[in-house]
Amino acid sequence: MTATYASVRERLDQDPGFRDVLKRLVDLSERDYYNPYREFQWPDSLPEQRWWMTPEMMVEHGTAVGATLSEQQLQTISRWESINFYSLNVHGIRELLHEIIARIHTTDFVAPSAYFHHIIGEENEHMWFFAEFCLRYGGKIYPSRAMSLAGPGVAEADHFLVFSRLLIFEELVDVFNQRMGQDERLDPTIRKVNEVHHRDESRHIAFGRQIVAMLWSDLRDRIDQSQQAVLEAYIKRYMIASIDSLVDPLIYKDAGIPDPYEVRRQVLADPSHPAYVERILKRSISFMTNTGVFTSPLFEEPRRAGAAS
Amino acid sequence: MSNGFDVVAENLRTRYQKVQGNGEQIPPGYDLIENRVLDSLGFVEFILLLEEHSGREISIDSVSREDFRTVESIRKRFFDGV
Ligand SMILES: [Fe+2]
Ligand SMILES: [Fe+2]
Repeated sequence: MTATYASVRERLDQDPGFRDVLKRLVDLSERDYYNPYREFQWPDSLPEQRWWMTPEMMVEHGTAVGATLSEQQLQTISRWESINFYSLNVHGIRELLHEIIARIHTTDFVAPSAYFHHIIGEENEHMWFFAEFCLRYGGKIYPSRAMSLAGPGVAEADHFLVFSRLLIFEELVDVFNQRMGQDERLDPTIRKVNEVHHRDESRHIAFGRQIVAMLWSDLRDRIDQSQQAVLEAYIKRYMIASIDSLVDPLIYKDAGIPDPYEVRRQVLADPSHPAYVERILKRSISFMTNTGVFTSPLFEEPRRAGAAS
Repeated sequence: MSNGFDVVAENLRTRYQKVQGNGEQIPPGYDLIENRVLDSLGFVEFILLLEEHSGREISIDSVSREDFRTVESIRKRFFDGV
């Protein structure tokens, strides 16, 4: 049963399931509200020669380059890779806040605006504790590498693309948070940051999935197959680029590994890398497939009529 | 550093060919951004290549989109001395 809606606003306003989800998420946010500024102990320093990330989750894991590095080197890398990971969060949240603030209390987003207040508030706090972690234990936030240039150029797809990007970003981060929040090999402060973030993100992800599915079902009826294929290809590229940004030459530079650009290239070109990408993004890929955005596996061309490029 | 620039220019030519679907050279003054040779998703890989081959760390906060507009502007901004 697919009703046709005249506008995004109607689509979001008139879906009873969405209203229920929003109500539940607002209630949960109110119930679980905490003061992040009092939540953490922040010891002066964390032991350096230990795992800062779950080693099996590191992008070097299972690669030929990874195998040439000693455990001590990998642990040092894990420290800087985690600083890069939290730095990506800081920059990702900046983009998220920017996009949500641009939409709150505008015509299309009347229905979710009450919940947007919670997202904005919670993300501001996440940004604070991620930045705090980087500055205290890495002495810096790694700079963003991103510049906003052209997107896929499909008219009317902006809302869908923004919420898809945000969802993928939050799901990607959450895969690490869930695992690292429970990993006994990591320092309690590291576990705590990941665990606290995961608690809030489970709500954001539930919201993200709802809104992306709705925006897609709205958009799908307005654009043709070849435009759908362009969006599918774009989201796949976005996913792969997001994973690739987990590894930055600056990590290797700071870890004292020679030839940092070459090491990064080798890690990403490793035959095991595509499987790593699919493993980390498993949930997001199945979501995009079940929603009908993806018509083929991540590393394959869209199977849509007119999917030329 | 002209050697480093050649690598970057070659990378841009490969991107250009992908967009254009042919094997020609990039015409002088060609707008890389307008024509999507450089787009949002391809930018990170490009800036890392640029860093590697210019030998300078590039802070995104100190560059603008105009620095990446043409092959010539990239050369001027990142390879021709400060
Ligand atoms: Fe967050
Ligand atoms: Fe979030």
